[in-house]
Amino acid sequence: MTSVALAAVDTPAIAAPLSADDIARLLPHRYPFLMLDRVTALEPGISAEGIKNVTASDAVLAGHFPGRMIYPGVLLIECVAQLAAVIYGSAALVNAEDASAGVSDRVGYLAEVRQAKFMRPVYPGDQVTLRATSGPRMGALISVTGQASVGREVVMTARLVVTERDQEE
Amino acid sequence: MAPILEEITERARDRQQLCADVKALLVDRLDLDVDPTLIGDDQPLFGRGLELDSIDTLELAMAIEEKYEVTITDDETDSLLSLNRLVDHVEANRP
Repeated sequence: MTSVALAAVDTPAIAAPLSADDIARLLPHRYPFLMLDRVTALEPGISAEGIKNVTASDAVLAGHFPGRMIYPGVLLIECVAQLAAVIYGSAALVNAEDASAGVSDRVGYLAEVRQAKFMRPVYPGDQVTLRATSGPRMGALISVTGQASVGREVVMTARLVVTERDQEE
Repeated sequence: MAPILEEITERARDRQQLCADVKALLVDRLDLDVDPTLIGDDQPLFGRGLELDSIDTLELAMAIEEKYEVTITDDETDSLLSLNRLVDHVEANRP
């Protein structure tokens, strides 16, 4: 009896690091579009940091481009958008009274990409560190600032607006 | 009576300046292809007015907050319907 009571009280709070499997429980994305390999830092509702390893076996590099593999810049933006979904998905999980409510169902849409800059190409072998910070929100719209870097070099910065779906929708 | 008239004139001038500043802020932050001095004080911001869309509301609210330290909450989005209403909101809530 005691163990049951303890298990009910001791609900594990979500904390970094999150493995790829943990991330897949927060996001609706699946292969080949689950971009994040690991979340290394997480403040639910506020900010997160994650890792994306770029590898030659990624199918997208076969076409982008043959003989000159470059990781597509738009996918770096997608990485930041997915990290943003981790930020507010984890916040929903922390705030949820019913943890069984589908957190991944809350992921909405990418609504705006503003001021995206790509400083240098990303190649196979690069480990991309992604950072996203959630900004002001209005209604379902959430502003996000994102950055991607390889080593100490910033390779991409962007400001996004993403949406969160209303559970009643 | 003269000081009161002066006061009113000064307030009107401040209001005009604030309107001009908000117009310039709008054009700058939302990359509008329009001369800020051609925007009317009563011009609607959305639809056939300045043709802003719902996604622009967030950028606009952020710009107003950064410049004037005035927030626009979900319940106050009526303040975004026209330039005058936006300026009213800024004037009423400035720190």
